Amino acid sequence: MIDQIFGVWNYWIVFILMMIGLYIVISKKSLLKKIVGLAIFQTSVFLLYITFGKIAGGTAPILTDNVNEIYSNPLPHVLILTAIVVGVATTALGLALTVRINKAYGTINEDEISASDLVEYHEKYLEDK
Amino acid sequence: MIGEIIINAFLVTLMLTIAIFIINTRKVISTILLTGTYSLVAALMFVSLDAVDVAFTEASVGAGISTILFLAALSYLPKEEKEEKFNVKHIYAICTCTIVAGLLIWASYDLPLVGQLENPVHQNLAQDFIEGSRNHIGIPNVVTSILASYRGYDTFGETVVIYTAGIAVLVLLYDEVSKTSKINKEKNK
Repeated sequence: MIDQIFGVWNYWIVFILMMIGLYIVISKKSLLKKIVGLAIFQTSVFLLYITFGKIAGGTAPILTDNVNEIYSNPLPHVLILTAIVVGVATTALGLALTVRINKAYGTINEDEISASDLVEYHEKYLEDK
Repeated sequence: MIGEIIINAFLVTLMLTIAIFIINTRKVISTILLTGTYSLVAALMFVSLDAVDVAFTEASVGAGISTILFLAALSYLPKEEKEEKFNVKHIYAICTCTIVAGLLIWASYDLPLVGQLENPVHQNLAQDFIEGSRNHIGIPNVVTSILASYRGYDTFGETVVIYTAGIAVLVLLYDEVSKTSKINKEKNK
């Protein structure tokens, strides 16, 4: 019984975490908060992969002298190591864009950015006329 | 075994709690610190799932460098988010997320249970990698031998991605950097 619950509990929490990340990305107006949402989404995907690699009663995949030792699957670990570092690279790029947008518009609120774009467009239109 | 399950369940639930708190904080500094905590708890979670290499990378890179980058960006950005009223767009977002979460949870009954030796993931490559690491490469840490040898091109590609991202960040922030250095030069005169 408890094995059954454990068997799917991780998946459920991972899916809910993913959706929390997605909700933050969709509904929050602040660009910085959106990057945080992406980070949450990312970490939950990492957790899903590592959960796949787990073997109950196994150890970390570092070889020992015991021949009958069961090791957890090392392949998802490698994939996720790569993904973590790439994730930080994308976060850095997103933050640089945010800083740049803040410099150009004076705000990082999505609504205010599109509003000031609209105002600029209308002024240009009137000038052309 | 039972202790492992309890620790596991506790840690994932803690992550869930932190994520829910992140949704509603308006002070940016607390958002950033909560995100750092979230990464650290994720690192603990990785240790309990036997992924020690991933755990220390997550703790140093995910919780360390990310948080520093966020704090550095915060020095240029507004410190508090604008208050926004709960409107119809939020309801659409909640509906979308709930539906997708429901579908995923429904689909999770088709996934193999966590931690079974006979899961399809464990059938093919993993055993070859473990044996190969012992017999051909000679590094006791299997993750290292896969990262640097079997999937070396992956790691090379990762390096290219980081290099590109670094250049892109420099290009985006070039004005900022050159202006501050100019101001410093004028001050020195």
